[in-house]
Formats: sequence, structure tokens, C-alpha cells
Amino acid sequence: MASSSKKKHEEEDVGEEEEEFEHFDDFTLASSWERFISEIEAVCRRWLSTGPKNLLEKGAVQLGEQKNLYKIKSELKYAMKNYCMEYYFEISNSGKAADWNWNATLHELQLSFGVKEFMVIAPQSASGVILDSPEASKLLSAVAIAFSNCSSLWPAFVPVHDPSRKAYIGIQNMGTVFTRRFEGDLISSQVPVKLMHLEGLYELFVSKFAFSSSDLSTHLFKVHFTMKLTYKTLPYDEDNEAAVLNSESDIITDNGGDNNNNNNNNININRNKLQWDDDCPWSEWYTAEDPVKCFELVAIWEEKMVESSMEMAEMENASIHEAQKWFIVPEFSSYLTDDYSGKLVGFASQLRLLIDALAMSLEVKFMEDFVSAETSGSDKLRSSAVIPPPTVLDRVLKDLCHDGSEVIPPEGRHRSSRLIKGAPLETLFAQFCLHSLWFGDCNIRAIAVLWIEFIREVRWYWEESQPLPRMPTNSTIDLSTCLVNQKLQMLAICIEKKRQQDGTSDNSSDTHSVEANEESLNPSSRGKEEGLVKERDSTSKRSGSAGVVKSMMLLKSHTNMHAPFTQDPPIMTEDMHEERLHAVEVLGDSFSFSGQLEKDILSSDMSAFKAANPDAIFEDFIRWHSPKDWEEEESCGPSKDKWPPEGRLSDRMSESGNSWRKIWNDSPPLPASQQKPFMDPNREGEKILHYLETVRPHQLLEQMVCTAFRAAIDTLNQTNFGGLDNMTTKIDQLYLTLASSLRPLQANKLLGDTEILQDIKRLCVIFQHVEKLLTLAASLHRKFLQAPRLSQTIFNDFRNSYLPKMGKGLVNKEEKKNQQVRVGVNERDVVTGMFVQPSANQSWRRVLSMGNLLNGHEPVFREIVFALRDRVDSSYHAPNEREIETHRMYICGTSNDLRVALSVTSCD
Amino acid sequence: MGSSSGQYDLSFKILLIGDSGVGKSSLLVSFISDSVEDLAPTIGVDFKIKQFTVGGKRLKLTIWDTAGQERFRTLTSSYYRGAQGIILVYDVTRRETFTNLLEIWAKEIDLYSTNQDCVKMLVGNKVDKDTERFVSREEGIDLAKELKCLFLECSARTRENVHQCFEELALKIMEVPSLLEEGSTVVKRNILKQKPEKQVGPTQGCCS
Repeated sequence: MASSSKKKHEEEDVGEEEEEFEHFDDFTLASSWERFISEIEAVCRRWLSTGPKNLLEKGAVQLGEQKNLYKIKSELKYAMKNYCMEYYFEISNSGKAADWNWNATLHELQLSFGVKEFMVIAPQSASGVILDSPEASKLLSAVAIAFSNCSSLWPAFVPVHDPSRKAYIGIQNMGTVFTRRFEGDLISSQVPVKLMHLEGLYELFVSKFAFSSSDLSTHLFKVHFTMKLTYKTLPYDEDNEAAVLNSESDIITDNGGDNNNNNNNNININRNKLQWDDDCPWSEWYTAEDPVKCFELVAIWEEKMVESSMEMAEMENASIHEAQKWFIVPEFSSYLTDDYSGKLVGFASQLRLLIDALAMSLEVKFMEDFVSAETSGSDKLRSSAVIPPPTVLDRVLKDLCHDGSEVIPPEGRHRSSRLIKGAPLETLFAQFCLHSLWFGDCNIRAIAVLWIEFIREVRWYWEESQPLPRMPTNSTIDLSTCLVNQKLQMLAICIEKKRQQDGTSDNSSDTHSVEANEESLNPSSRGKEEGLVKERDSTSKRSGSAGVVKSMMLLKSHTNMHAPFTQDPPIMTEDMHEERLHAVEVLGDSFSFSGQLEKDILSSDMSAFKAANPDAIFEDFIRWHSPKDWEEEESCGPSKDKWPPEGRLSDRMSESGNSWRKIWNDSPPLPASQQKPFMDPNREGEKILHYLETVRPHQLLEQMVCTAFRAAIDTLNQTNFGGLDNMTTKIDQLYLTLASSLRPLQANKLLGDTEILQDIKRLCVIFQHVEKLLTLAASLHRKFLQAPRLSQTIFNDFRNSYLPKMGKGLVNKEEKKNQQVRVGVNERDVVTGMFVQPSANQSWRRVLSMGNLLNGHEPVFREIVFALRDRVDSSYHAPNEREIETHRMYICGTSNDLRVALSVTSCD
Repeated sequence: MGSSSGQYDLSFKILLIGDSGVGKSSLLVSFISDSVEDLAPTIGVDFKIKQFTVGGKRLKLTIWDTAGQERFRTLTSSYYRGAQGIILVYDVTRRETFTNLLEIWAKEIDLYSTNQDCVKMLVGNKVDKDTERFVSREEGIDLAKELKCLFLECSARTRENVHQCFEELALKIMEVPSLLEEGSTVVKRNILKQKPEKQVGPTQGCCS
């Protein structure tokens, strides 16, 4: 004490110098303790007068976990020790010191002691607590005096003992004759068995106000009781292990009797499922970790009256269905958060690698250069890029050339899919791109090897005239797809034509073969055709007729008009179109250009028409080919009665020097089968293979990136996630974003513009985001098949908390943990179904000690509030008799620890 | 016409479609050459280039004129590719040319157009033959709303509204950012093509 008084004097000296001029309080009379009290009082008065709202402007900060709680602090000094005084307050004034609002997130002290706003005074030391109990009570009484001086009703707390115990003592002036005292502590191991059970806990509470143990059994106390139990499902990612264990338990339970039947069903379902995403569309390529680790079920028993320990003992066996409120809290895997540092494998991760490969391809001339040892560039490239063994290569090629799954018809695809210039899902090139994402972890050398072998395979199909796998031949080329796909489409058509040619040369009986050939040459249907004419017409010269045209007679000979077989219009890939347009733009006389090719087609049609109708004149052809240029005279009545019908060519057709008539005059009668074909399949096929074999690496990689993005999103889009609206719009948006962001790649301007690559890399971030959300949606959907509302709500909550942080990287984990979703009564069975009976192996690990089992699971966390209320007549406010909470005990714990907090109100 | 090639800020591709004989080629010739004449039916596809200034920008329009005959339809489908503007033409004196727009031509656009943002314009031609009119202006406006098109009535013969038609379309295209970018990249690409060797250099440096 002597030493401390010395310090006091020193302190006074310092204080005098600083504050003498501002205050005229007589410090010489006050002890340092009294000065400390008045300092506390001053701070308290200042905070009281400022009011919560204004405190915000004076530097109060919001607490991260509790949305509506703020704190402001002030530092004090006493006996060479620094103290920190913190005032916690809420902004909204609605409601009283809400006793136990289960939904809200409460501060530990609010929850423990049933207070609303409060003050904490703690030393600023390493431990942050007061280890010495006389010091603690001295500090607390200082606060109590200061508060009663300024008539503050705030409860004040002082942390005591060991920091790990989170123990507090506290006091609150209630404004009347009453004072509330607080005390809380924690047992972190070796919890007495008695205190593991409700009965024991009840007796602990009662012992705080009952005078003797005999009293306990004879007197009935009306104790208010509230309970919150938290259960946790087994982690989902341990499914593998669970499946094995369950099969063992199966044997046991089979002998066990009838009451286990229900559980057996659950087990059987579980056993067959080795990976949770086995039937998800992406599982062909990778396995995603289940984004939902487990669920917590929170069951709340609202306040009820308990009068004896017997009743409490019964509570322990009460069914969880008796709890009034149920909430479910999902626990998500850490990879869902943006700041997840580990490697996450999915389409997005591989697409990023493919973009790296694209960056490397810019400098190289041929795909072969990546494979051959001398030219493969830096050592770094060679060492880091591993080429998978031949067995893997064989397997991939086999899968590529396997005609297994059907190509999805255009109607089945996402409507925005074709906006991304790639190949449609399940077609040959799309499948190649998806494989290369995973082949050798998508390094450029592995891609080169795969491509070369793939093209070698394609050449084999061409040489052998075998239909290309995964390539439907519908004789058109979809120009909205990427060039490689167009080339493959065209190659498939060339192979088809080559096969037809080979077929006709095999059986060379002339008339039949010609007909067969003609038929195949004309898949384009005409509305005017009326069945095929099988027999040769009386007119010996006629050839290449596809049938009589309904109600059309030739003008001159008054015989039936025959529609001819015509040649298919030539098919072209986009580079051929471009080449042609370019040539036309450069060479063509822009004033009177008509494409030579189109003229050839017209001429071919005319020749075929002439051959099919030897007696036809130009007007007949126009009537068939361009009916609007034949003007019939309306006045002459039905044309059938009168022959020839009154009519004439339109003005524009009949002008002298009309180019159509010129072509007509120059076209010899020749059936389509004998004309020079527009397209030579042998030549075109070879040209395509030449393109594929010599394609510049960066051109190939650009197309691969587009196609891989498209195929990846198309694959994800097939996921069944129960049609969550939010997810659907996310996918729609991603399609459009991909389409517009990938467009620069199609324009072939990548060389020299590395910014484009950066943009596309950013696209991977967005892609990953959607991929994660989709995995979550799929996982939730299958877990809550019978309760779609729950999956929808959980998903939306997650999405809402996740979205605003996108890209910023920082996610407040606390905020996410607090996603509680109320479970409706009709949804309870779905939730209890998720608590699979633990197998014998699993349950021995944990000694069940708490009761209130749910399918063999004991609560992981139990919170209880006991309260005793009493009518007290306070002599000061005479006739008014009011009920106050005299005793309140908050108990929370697991099977290993127990935390007890007691508040007692008493009259001093 | 196109003698001053290269002297333009933006280049757009426009496509004319519609039934045979509605006056697509006439419309185009009327716009290009200020002449009015009967034209032979288009064989397959034809095109014209027109440069003019609108909204302070020098534009080069490459206008592709397609044949309306059914036989040419598969052939012309490839010309939809990359078009920033599509003009659907009908003849106000022939109702079926109007109804075919919805039944045939709008579907062709959905099927073949590769540009989701491309601007469409509905044009009713031959309004000079007002006495023979079978399609009212109101009907035209309604269809334009349905197809989300611009709308104009014009006459290739009297040259009424012909210039407005192409100008308005060009202005509308310039309002769409993605199309505007496409229009200007054509120029950019030509610059790049001239010196590809230089572009390779820096990328090599950062990759090795």
C-alpha cells in the first residue's frame, strides 16, 4: 500500500499540471480512487448526455458480428494501470432489454445476463482480465459508485480470472431499491455428470434461492424454462466412409428388430451413392466437393413453467417435435468463399489453364513444334508440361470417336448458346476441347499431342470413307459455330457424298443408279412436287424429272410440267464466304455485280428444267422458278377452261437484254446428275484436312477457348437444380457475358493485344462464381427434394450474402454463419431424415451424455435459460406491486464444457 | 461511287430481304445512283457500296441485295452473317409480301443472323401506287412493333423516304455500342494485318 500511495502522489502531480486550469475541483482532498471514480463518472455523463445516435458521429464503431450493436470506448488510468471502458449500445430503441430473441445475434454478455446495453471495464494488459479478485471488486464498486452518482442504469461488467474462462462479474443499479449482480463462469473440462442433465441443472438453479435442500423437494418453485438445442448432421464429404460403415451396421440392425426398418432404408440409399455429384453433368469431367458440409438444426422450446426436477427429467426424453420453433443452419465448405486459397478444380480452373496455353501458342507456327524436342522452346516449358502416357491418350481418343451420346437438338440447348462462337455440346470438336481441358492438366504440349493424334484419327475416317463420329450430317453448315467445327461439318458432308459416289459405282446398272443418284442429289423439298415419277415418260428425251408439278401445264405443248432434280447449292464454310466476298469487293464492278456462283446455280437449274421438260420455253421456267414474274390476266376466268392461259412476263423479266433470258438461251438441257457438280467432295475434303493439319496454333487455341467456354457452360446448364429462379438468371447472364467477352477472339485480333487475354482471364473469375453457385444449387436441390422452399431460401440467402462481395475478396465469415432458415412444420420430416442414425462405429467415439437424442444424435450445443420471477412490493412506490426477475440463469454447453451465468436481483 | 475507299470512319454491312419483286434492288439503286429504272430480277445476291456522312461520321455501307425467290434462300442464308442492319421490304400493293415477312423472313433472321444486336428495319415500298394499296400504314407499324423494327414507308420510284431509310438505319446502328465497335474494328484489323511481324515480338518476350 505504501508503494501505491507513492504512485498516487506522482499521478496527482502530473494531473495537476494538466488539468488545474480547467477545473477547480479540489484534487488535494480526493484520493486517487475518488479521482478515478469521478473520471468514470465524467465519461459516463458525457456518453449519457450525447445519446446513442450522436455517439455514432463521435467514433462509435459497429461490431462485425452483431448488426445492431455499437461500441465506444474511453481509456482511464488508475494506480499506474490503464483501463479501458467500453460502452455497448444499440441504435434502435424498439423493445426492452430483449430477454432472449433467438433470431437475433446477441453479444455474449447480452445472452448470458439478459441485458441490452452494457458497459465493460477491463485493464489494458496482455490478458485483458483482472486476475486479482480484490482488485476486481474494487473496480466494480468504483463503477457502481460512479454510476449511482450520475444515476446511470447501465449494467457494468468486469472480466475476471483466466481469459479462457471468459468469466465476468457485474453489477447494475436498477433505479429503485434493487440492484442486480452478475456472475458468469465456464467449466471447460470434466463437467460433473449431474450438470450434464437437465435435472441437475435445474437443481443448480434452484439452489441459488432455496434455503435448504429439504426445501427443494417440498417446495414447488415456479421456474420459467426456455431451451435451445442445436444438432449437427454428419459431414457430407465423409459419405465414402459412411457408406462403408453403414454396410456394417446394416448387418447389425437387420437382426435388431422392426423399429429399425426406417433407418435401414436411409442407409441403403446412402450406400449406393459414392460421390454426391455422381449424376451431375460435370461428373464426367471432375468431382466437386460438396459445398454443403453439414446442417445444424436449432430447435427451440419456448418458455414453459417447470415446478419440479421430475418434470425436468422428463424434458430430457421429450421428442424434438415438441419444440415450437425449428431453424436450419447450413455450414458451407470453405471453398465457396472468394478468398479460398486452395486449388479448386472445376471448369473455371481448367479454362484458366487453357488461356495460358493460348498465350503460349502466339509465338509458334505449327502444333508439331510443341511436340518435337528441339523446337519446343524453353526448358521450363518442357519440364513443367507433362504429356500423359499413351494409355491415357488411347482412352481419350476412344471416347472422342465413340458415337455414344446423341447430339442435343437445337431446341434442347440454351437459347443463348449459339451466340458463343464454338461448337455445340457433344459434337466432335466440343468433346475434343473438353477432353483437352483435363488431358495433362491442359498444358500446351499435351494439347498439341492430343490435337495431332486427333487429326490423324480424322484423316483415317476420311481415307476410309467412314462417317465421322459425333457429327450429324444435315447438309448445312452452321456459320454461327467456330471454323474448325464448320470444317468438320463440311468434311462429314464430303465423306457422305464420297460414300454415295462409291455406292453408285458399285452397282452400275445404269437407269437405277441414275435415279438413286438423282434422289440423293435433291434433298431440298419443293411444295409443288407431286410424288416421284418412277416410270420413264413417253417423251423419250425427258430425264432428271422429280415429278409432275400440280396443275401446271407447259404453255406450248400443253403437257404436264415436270419439276427437275436440281443440284444442291454449294456448301461453304465461313472462310470460303469471306474469301469470295473479299474477291468480289476488290474485283467486282460494284455497280452491276451478280455473283458468278449464283449465275452458275441459275444456269444449272435451267439446264435441269430443260432436260426434264424438253418442250419448255423460258416463260415455263419463270412460272415454275419465280412465279411472281408471271402475271396472269385476271379477267379470263379459271385458267383450266382456256388454253393457253392469258398471261405475260412481268415488265422486269420481259425487258430486252434481260440477264435471265440470256442465261436461259445459253443453258443446254442437261439433268443434274450429268452436270458438273458445284462441289467436288474429294477436293474439298482434302482441303479441309490440309487446314486442320496446318492450322496456326493460336488460331486453333482461340477456337478452343471459345468452344471450351461454350461446352462448359452448356454442360453446367444441364444440371438439375430445381429451377431456382436466381440461378437461371445467373446462367442466362453468364451466357451473354461470355458471348460478348469472347467476341474479340473471333475477330482474330489477338496478336499483339494482350489486354484481350487479361479480359478473358477475368471471365474465368465470373465463370467460377457461377460454377460454385450452381454446385451449391445442385447440392441443396438434391438434399431438399421434398422441401423445395428450404433449398430455395437457403440458396437465396447465400447468394445475397455472397454477391455483394464478389471480386472484393473479403468475406465476413461470421455473417455467413448466421444464416438461419425457419423450418415449417410440414418440412420437419425432411430435416429429421437428414439425421441418419449413426452406426455403431460412429457412436462409440462419443459418449452420449446429454439426452434429448435425435435419431441417435445428441445436441452439439445446448442453451437453457431459467428464470424466477417474483412479485415484490417496493416500499418506496407504495401500492405498486410489480413482477421482477429475481433470478436468471443462462446455461450453455456441449458434452465437454459448461458455461453458467447468473443474475440475481436483490433489495439492498 | 466507291472511288474514295478507305476514307471513312465506320463500315457497316446491311442486308436487304423480302419476297421476290417487292423492289429491294430498286430501293438500293434509287439510293445509290439517284436513278429510277426497271431492273432485272436479282440472281442470287448482289451488292452495292455507298459512302455518305451522317451524324458527323463518314460511313461506308456495304449493302447486300438478295433474291427473293425460294430457290435462292438457302444460298442467301450465309449473307445474314455479320450484318449489322437488316432491311425487311414488302410491297404495300401485295398483301402476301407483307404476311410473308412474319411467316418466312423473320424466321430466317432468327435462324441465320449471328449478330444478336443487329438493327432491323421494316420498309413498305411502292407507296406511289397509293390507289392500289392493300397494306395500311397502321398495319405496318403494328408489325414493326411485333418484330421490334424501325418502320418507314417509301417509294423507290419517286425516291420518297429512300435516303431517310438508310440514314435512319445507320444512325440506329451507331447507337448500339457493340455494333459501333464492330464497324470500327474493320479498320483496326486492316492496320494490324499490315504489320503482323511487329506484333509477335513483345508477346514472345513475356512468354519465354
